[in-house]
Amino acid sequence: MTRARGAVLGALAVVVAALVVYPAFGTGYGVRATLQVFMWIALAGSWNLISGLTGYVSFGHVAFFGIGAYAGSILIATAGWSWPLAALGGGIVACVLALVIGYPCLRLKGPYFAIAMLGLNEVLRALVSYFEGLTGGGNGLSLPTLDATTSIYYVMGGLAIAVTAVTYLIITSRFGLRLMTIREDEIAAEAMGIDTFRHKLGAFLLSAAGPGIAGALTARDQGYIEPISVFPLVVTVTMIVMVLFGGKGTVWGPVLGAIALFVIQEIVWARYPYVHPLLFGAIIIAVVLAMPRGVLGLLQLKYRLPRTI
Amino acid sequence: MVGQVLISGVLSGALYAMVALGLALIYGVMRVINIAHGPLLMLGAYTTYFLYSRAGMNPFLTVPIAMAALFVVGVLLQRTLVFRVVDAPELSSLLLTFGISIALVNLAQLAFTSDLRAVEFITGAWVIGGLALSKPRFIAFLFAAAVTALAFLFLKYTRLGKAIRATSQSREVALVCGINVARIHLLTFGLASALAAGGGALLAVIVAVQPEMGGVWTFKSFLVIVLGGAGNYPGALLGGLLLGLVEQLASLFLTTQLSEVVAYVLLVLVLLVRPAGLLGGRQT
Repeated sequence: MTRARGAVLGALAVVVAALVVYPAFGTGYGVRATLQVFMWIALAGSWNLISGLTGYVSFGHVAFFGIGAYAGSILIATAGWSWPLAALGGGIVACVLALVIGYPCLRLKGPYFAIAMLGLNEVLRALVSYFEGLTGGGNGLSLPTLDATTSIYYVMGGLAIAVTAVTYLIITSRFGLRLMTIREDEIAAEAMGIDTFRHKLGAFLLSAAGPGIAGALTARDQGYIEPISVFPLVVTVTMIVMVLFGGKGTVWGPVLGAIALFVIQEIVWARYPYVHPLLFGAIIIAVVLAMPRGVLGLLQLKYRLPRTI
Repeated sequence: MVGQVLISGVLSGALYAMVALGLALIYGVMRVINIAHGPLLMLGAYTTYFLYSRAGMNPFLTVPIAMAALFVVGVLLQRTLVFRVVDAPELSSLLLTFGISIALVNLAQLAFTSDLRAVEFITGAWVIGGLALSKPRFIAFLFAAAVTALAFLFLKYTRLGKAIRATSQSREVALVCGINVARIHLLTFGLASALAAGGGALLAVIVAVQPEMGGVWTFKSFLVIVLGGAGNYPGALLGGLLLGLVEQLASLFLTTQLSEVVAYVLLVLVLLVRPAGLLGGRQT
């Protein structure tokens, strides 16, 4: 192990230890804000798994968040499961949905997947409103009261670490190299004997699990969900902006983007909620045109950082 | 019942075909899926609303004005932003037009508020032999059919139209033949935006106008071109009619709340069974 690598691992350990003891000292707002950052890291990291690595843009990743929230809430409220199990259930349901969408749409090259994901959100919202008996329709679904914010803080933190660790493992594996080959040139990847469909589908399933779990955890934390609160387009947009800003296809880009965007959002943009989407739109346009590799990509070019950053 | 479904399906199908033809043109010529297609339609609808409510114009006569206005907007978008990603990986063009799309919707919310606006110009229906023919929908159908027919005549017979089709078939060969491809791209994006705007202008007479009305149209237009076969312009006609018919047929059995779900299931089924579209491959 090189010295630089040891220093990075040491610093990481310190950060994690600080975050572990933080709820004992932090304010209610501080813990809640950190919990939000964890959620965004998990969401952005998951979007990065499919879109950053394979280049297949998902415009509807919030659908997995929303369906996880509904599955988790129904399991808690109707089936009486404990919330950690229900969160796992939310992740599994999200994976099943990803399989149903991914199977027809990822077999094809081209924009089919992106558009199918664009429509998915509206469809789920309509379905949730339609099956009122199960979901409470537009009235929403209330969960029994339970103050579990601290426990959820730890689980969400674990999820953020897990998503980041999975990203690292994938990027350093043959599986990840194949995914990136698909992104750079899918036909060449096929010519080299890569089963592109199965690789894309695998990445997509992995990328759906995190948002599904995060959705169920968020639903438990807030105690109440309704169609507009768990399927907002702005969540997908935020994930995309975070990953693009930090650097798509990298391990730490989504983490960096999530923290940076969240802090900026809390400090500056909370005052101008009406122009929020406009700013996000402008950031997306600017990043795509001016720095397609994001902040980390720029740093990588400039300082010859390792590819696995 | 069947007659009613046929009539309503064909009436809405013509609008679908017209709007989707715009999306198909951009995709065919530049290989770019314009996520901002729906929001451009929304801008067309607002143009009609304001010309009707402020200037008292007949909303159907505002169709050419909305189309001309959005033609300019489309050309400007292509000129300033979209041309930069025409040759970039798909990820870039999708994300760029997605960014444009959310910015446009938010601008519309800021400028026009999220209030629902209605153009109550003509209402009611003609009843012929037990079949109801909605007046605004029928007139909108006539306009949509006329505009779509003109667009096809333009593509088929004029030099510029032929240049667009040539670029769509092979950009390199078009270039070699002396076609100014960058200008054709500008023209195509303008034309596509105009078609979306025409759809929006006609839609303003039928449904409420609001900033988020466009989103579902990007999706449905794409569905139409998948049904007809991507890059196949006449296919957009067939796809539009088919989508209109299927939606009306489904509304017999399901609530209209689920019409988007029906469209979605249709997309997934077509991708599963016949991904090249019902008419198959590229014909321009």
